[in-house]
Amino acid sequence: MSINYLNVENLTLGYGNNIVINNLDLSLKSDKNYQIIGKNGVGKSTLLGFISSNFQGNVFSSNIETEKIRILEISNLATIDNNLSLIENCFYFTKGKIPEEEIILSLEQYGVHHFKDDLVQNFSSGMIKRSEMAIAQIIDPDILCIDEPLNYLDKQGVELLKILLAERSKVGKGNILSSQESINIFENNYEMIDLNVY
Amino acid sequence: MFINNFVIKKELLNEYRNNTSLFLITPTMAVLVLVFPILSENRFVVDDDFFIINRILFLIFFTTLFSIRNPINENKLRRELNFANIDRNYFFKFKTVSEFIIYFPQSLILLTLFSVFTNTGVESNLFYFIISVAFFSINSIMVNIIFQMFTTFSNRFVQFILMVPVFMSLSFFIAPIWLGINPNLSNIYLLMYLGITILISSYANWFLQKDLK
Repeated sequence: MSINYLNVENLTLGYGNNIVINNLDLSLKSDKNYQIIGKNGVGKSTLLGFISSNFQGNVFSSNIETEKIRILEISNLATIDNNLSLIENCFYFTKGKIPEEEIILSLEQYGVHHFKDDLVQNFSSGMIKRSEMAIAQIIDPDILCIDEPLNYLDKQGVELLKILLAERSKVGKGNILSSQESINIFENNYEMIDLNVY
Repeated sequence: MFINNFVIKKELLNEYRNNTSLFLITPTMAVLVLVFPILSENRFVVDDDFFIINRILFLIFFTTLFSIRNPINENKLRRELNFANIDRNYFFKFKTVSEFIIYFPQSLILLTLFSVFTNTGVESNLFYFIISVAFFSINSIMVNIIFQMFTTFSNRFVQFILMVPVFMSLSFFIAPIWLGINPNLSNIYLLMYLGITILISSYANWFLQKDLK
């Protein structure tokens, strides 16, 4: 079932007195895929953060209507805890509700199961991204937001990302990607939100 | 089990891996305990009262060092809680519990070490002693969380300066009990301290809830 989970008119976001996004109208549906594109500094990550409730700046006079659904963001900065091992992170982020076997299966799929007992602080950026993708797959949120999706990923990692996004789309779950230019490697249709024009 | 909660597990594992408080702060404080009276009075034998005041002073320093050991990064925390879909209030409830589990035994260890090193005790019985330390722990942990949430300290020294007076005022209730007032007055002090604890806990709870969007 498609939910119109975010409706905004005249969305204006900024940090302090510095306005980053000005008068943006946006309507997002839960079964659609979106790509936010724009040059450096136009507010791609800011908008993605706003959609996923991770935005910490100022929201100026805007009309905002939201529906409560589960939105998960894989940002450019690592979200998983450096001082925990990968498996401990998985338990924490799944609130200990998912059995270990299921978690390991997902980690295997993303090629990080050999490092499940290693501390995340010793991981490379690519491994962190893969780990977060694995956790996102386990959690299976309604909407998955990824900031700069191809960053840090090798060829195999990109293939895994394509599979993850395609599988989500198949079951009617939305994805939002943010990058400088349109990424054409994904099979599904992505509606563009071009911030260069605002 | 309470300790099996995923937030508590994570906080305890973090503390175990960081080792800042138990393996760094407590021994440092213990060494200071040994050196301080010699430096202040230039002799090894000093009055018992002086030691009790010192004991409170060291508890305050210890609490402050404990409080600034691991600052909360609001940005990271927000992303983490959204990623795991954890309610902010739920997180802080169990963070407080885990902080208490970490802090309370350490403060008891420090105070015991103080007694061992200086060959002194407090003038109240064990029950009053433990309850007063427990109240102090709960209060200081709550105050610490409030302080860390309403302002981002880029400089730990500033945090240190702001927090010491708060911890000093919290220790005012302990001082008379440890100095040995009669049991009835001790009960009144403990009841007052209980009231303060409930007040601070309620305020911390409100403070964290109001931030929910």
